[in-house]
Parts: sequence; C-alpha cells; structure tokens
Amino acid sequence: MTEFLRFFFIGLGNGAIYAMLGLGLVVIYRSTGLLNFAQGEMAMFTTFIVWMLADAGLPLWLALLGGMAAGFVIGAIVHQVIVRPVGDPQQKPLAVVIVTIGMFLGFNALAKLFWGSDDKTLLNLFGRSSVSILGTDVAWQKLGALAVLGIEALVFWLLFQRTKVGLAMRSVASNPESSALCGIPVTRILMIGWGLAAAIGAIAGTFTAPIGALSSNLMQLPLIYAFAAITLGGFDSFIGAIVGGLLVGVLTDVVPRYVSIFEKMSLAPAFLLILVVLLVRPEGIFGQKKVSRV
Amino acid sequence: MTTTSTGAPNAAPMRRWLPLVSLLMLAVVLIALPQLLNPFWTGRVTSWIPLAIVALGLNLLTGYNGQISVGHGALFGVGAYATALIINDWKWPYLAAIVASAVICFVAGIFVGLPALRIKGLYLALVTLAVATLFPQIIEQFSDTTGGSTGLGITAKELNSRGVLTDRSIRFTAPEWSGQADDQWRYYLFLIVAVVCFLLVRNLVHSRAGRSIIAIRDNEVAAEVSGVNVAAAKVFTFAISAALAGVGGALFALYNTRVSSGSFTLLLSLNILVAVVIGGTPSIIGPAIGAVFLNVFTDVITPELPENVKSITPLILGALLVVLMLVAPGGIVGLYRQVSAWLVSRRATAPDPIPPTP
Repeated sequence: MTEFLRFFFIGLGNGAIYAMLGLGLVVIYRSTGLLNFAQGEMAMFTTFIVWMLADAGLPLWLALLGGMAAGFVIGAIVHQVIVRPVGDPQQKPLAVVIVTIGMFLGFNALAKLFWGSDDKTLLNLFGRSSVSILGTDVAWQKLGALAVLGIEALVFWLLFQRTKVGLAMRSVASNPESSALCGIPVTRILMIGWGLAAAIGAIAGTFTAPIGALSSNLMQLPLIYAFAAITLGGFDSFIGAIVGGLLVGVLTDVVPRYVSIFEKMSLAPAFLLILVVLLVRPEGIFGQKKVSRV
Repeated sequence: MTTTSTGAPNAAPMRRWLPLVSLLMLAVVLIALPQLLNPFWTGRVTSWIPLAIVALGLNLLTGYNGQISVGHGALFGVGAYATALIINDWKWPYLAAIVASAVICFVAGIFVGLPALRIKGLYLALVTLAVATLFPQIIEQFSDTTGGSTGLGITAKELNSRGVLTDRSIRFTAPEWSGQADDQWRYYLFLIVAVVCFLLVRNLVHSRAGRSIIAIRDNEVAAEVSGVNVAAAKVFTFAISAALAGVGGALFALYNTRVSSGSFTLLLSLNILVAVVIGGTPSIIGPAIGAVFLNVFTDVITPELPENVKSITPLILGALLVVLMLVAPGGIVGLYRQVSAWLVSRRATAPDPIPPTP
C-alpha cells in the first residue's frame, strides 16, 4: 500500500506538470482552434531561458518569472508572424499541422544552436527535502508543483471570469466575428492567448527539467501526456485539463509498475487513452460537443 | 483554354513533349549515376531511396486522400523489423522479405485506418504523433525479440576463410554476368523496387479508385453522395500507404544490415513529412524530389558544417516548412507548376511577332 501511495504521489506531482502544459494547449485551442504540436518545444525553449537566467546568478524564482516574460513575447510573436497568416485550422488542418511541426523542428534546433547539445541541470524550485504523508515520503517539489498548479488555476479563473481581457478572450473564443463587430481587438486578444500559453509553458518546463536533465528533448514525452490529459478532459475545458492532467499523471506512473507489459512503455496507457476517448467520446469529460452541419 | 491553343501554336506541343523528355532525362541520370559516382556516394544515394518510397506512401495518404499522418516513421519501423526478423529467422530471399514486409504493413495499415474513419484532421495528426513517439518504447519493451536500443543485426550463415560457418552481416553480391560492383548492383536493385512503387502509385492515382481517393479529399460528403464507398476507400488508401512505408522500411533494414530503436524516433516521422511537404503535394514525383532535397541537406551539407552550427539544418528545414505553407503550399513541384503555367500564359498573351501588314 505504501508503495502504491508513493507512486500515486509521484504521479500526482508529474500530473501537475501535464496539467500545466495542458492548460496552455487549451488556451490555444480555445482561442485559435488548433492543436499546437510545438507547445512542448516552446516550453523547452523558455525553460532554457530560465536556466540561462539562473546560471547568470538570478534566484530561480526570478529566473522563472523572466522566462515567463520571454515566453509571453515569443508566444505573441509566433501567433502574429506564423500562426495567423496560415488561416483557419478547421478548414486547413494539414497546413496548420505542418506549420506547428515546422515550429517544433525550429525551436528544437534553435535551442541546440543557442545552448549546445550538452545536458544542463536545473535545480528544484522547492528543494530536495520531503515530508511524510500517510506513511510515505513525498518530495516538497511534487507538492509544490500541485500548489503552483492550484495558483495557476486560480489566476486563470480570475483572469477569465473577473477581468475585461478575460471576457474578451471568452468572447473571441465563442465567436470571433461578432466580437470584432463589438469592437474587441480580436488579433491582440489572440496574441495575448498565445503569449499566456507560452508563458505558462515555462513553469511546466521548470518543473520537468529537474526530474532528469535539461536537454532539447525535454518536453517531447510530457507533450504527449498533456495531449492525453486534454483529450480526456476535453480540448476546450480548463477544468478538464487539470483533472485530465492529474489522472494521466497517476495512470502513467502507477500502471507501468503493476502491469509488466507496460514496464518500458509508459506512453502506452496515455496513447490508449487518447485513442479510446477520441473514438468513444471525442468531446472528453468536460468538453463541449461539436455539431457539424453538412 | 482556348486562348492558349490559338494564341501560341507551339505552346501545346511543348507542354506535351516536355514531361516525356524530362522523364527520359531523369531515367538516363538515374541509370548513369552509379557509373559516375565513387562507391561511397553510390552508397549514400542508395540510402536515400527508402525515404523516397515512404514519402511516396505518405503523399498518397495526405496529398491525394487528405488524411494526415505524423506516424509513418512507426510503419517504416514495422517494415524494417519485419524484414530483419524474416531474414534472420526464416532465411527468406531479400525480395520475398520485402514483399512480406509490405503485406504485414498493409494489414497494420488497415488497423490504423479503421479508427481513422472516426478520428479526422488535427485529431488524427495527434493520434499518429502519439504512435510515432510510442514506437521506440514498444521496441524497448520487446527487446528480447527486437534487440532494443542495442539493435538487431541482420545476418546470414557464411563460410569464413577457414571453412567454418559463422554469422556475417548480409550483403549484396553482384552476379558475374552483370559486370557491376556490389554497391552498383545494390543501387540498381533498390532503384527497381522504387520505380515499381512509383509506377504502381501513378497508375492507382489515375484509375477509378484514384479518382475516388481524390474526391474524398476534396469533399467527403459529395463523394459519398456520388456513390463512392468512402470508408472502404479511406481504409484501402491507408493500407496501401502503410505497405509503401513497409517497403521503404524493408530497404532501410537491408541497406543498414541492422535495426535499432534509435532509428525510428519521432524525428524520422517528422522528416518523412518534411520530405513530402517540400517535394510537393499532391504529386507522384514530389516525394522523390523532397527526399533527395532533405538528404542533400542532412547527408551532404550538414557534415561540412562546423560542430556548433550543425543544428542549423533542422532550423532551416523547419523555417522552410513554415514559409512554404505561407507562400507555396504546393512545395517544389507546385512552384514548378506555377512557374510553367505563368510561362505558358505569358507566351499565350505575348503580342503577335509578325506586324500586321498595312
């Protein structure tokens, strides 16, 4: 039982990371209607910026804020220069997939170009000590990830429900044309959405890097887990991303320990989840059902 | 276009002869290549053929049928491992192993194609991306059979110089009558397989089935209403596309005489897509052009670069994808078509060279 609990808590901590990455994916899906396959690589890139700032002597917290600010700018530029000119993702899915994959390759290469291909080490934001819960040791870092996820959720809720910008973002997500007619600067709002998504990617990356090492491959597996999370939760649901992320985290850390066929295939449960949800209930748990007219 | 035929009498024959002449020139170049290159470069060019074949398969699926796959690297891998295991365990001849790999991948393609009937567009891209990322983990999981990341050598029993039977990596031996060196022989064998694949796809696309495949891409509902069996056609296209990936994988395994999980990562799947997009869709020759273009970048240019700027190549390729999507979604072939259409129309509208007599 204690062993199960240990993996359960590790899974929750990792799930928080997938949820953070998933929140970024949901922001982008809601605002521009596309699945951003470059989200993980953008998060990796901003994490390198965090590392660079921390390496220059800044405290990790400040470095993270700096990385988030840089991420916001990068996200806004990416939307303005690359994503917007391509057009509607539902009309031209192939073009959008190819452009995001181009960005995937580009960010990966840029990171190698700027920071070399040696692994870097990023320290834990919450130190190395742990606390005993229900008879098992849980690292503060994992609890910290959950706490940060909670703060993110709160900030998101405040932003979307209590501010003018949030209202505009919801309005643009539901109907861009009517919003434009109401005088909402749609392009600027979409830019903010992309900036926000890239900024919180830096947080996800900063929690991922200390688990292994910081390299340009950092976010490739977490991206698939994050996609599994938002598939399960619903592509357009923030609460879905959080619940889905935590569930996927627990699932992918607990199942491979007990089912020997998944021992080296930690991705397999996540993959099966994506496949089954898309086949059986494409809108996920919390997502809105799509109606297509012929 | 009436203006084209009346305004420029020599434009129409030019348009008829140009493809034939360029095809003939291409054939001459492809046949002469191993005679002109040294063994090292003959080998290099041979190693580009598998990518061209898998790109051909992806182009059929994505360019002609409109289904997106970011996971063809996994099907390529299935073909490679099938060939390796068949040759190692059953000692089949190479050609039989290639055909068997194609059949295995055809069946795998049906299994991937069936869920793809319900999962479309961006979401199909997501599922196939997950398959591509998962594939190396599957190889690791079954490392008893596959050799995992260490790899699996493809070997044959052979008598060594002291007359003892030992395992040696497979190789291609040119028969006496051909008068070719081993590397030239291997190149021609690979080339023949590729030509057969390209002709098959060309004929498929120009057939009744091909028109259904294209109609589904343009408007699925309209195709259904016109009597196309959409489900069957889509699954069939996926299976053929997978079979081509399998042939590519089989040739890859035969060329490298070794398969390991590190060869079939997500990056491979992305590179296949890059080759298809840069070459141009929908087109028969596009994937081959794209594969050569990509390999010139990774095989010829990158090794010349200093160590710290080597990753400029994927950066350029990534940027090229984005730029192509914005300015020329048809890739290199699309650009060629645009330019030649422009030339013809300019000819057609050019003023009459003979001044009218007063």
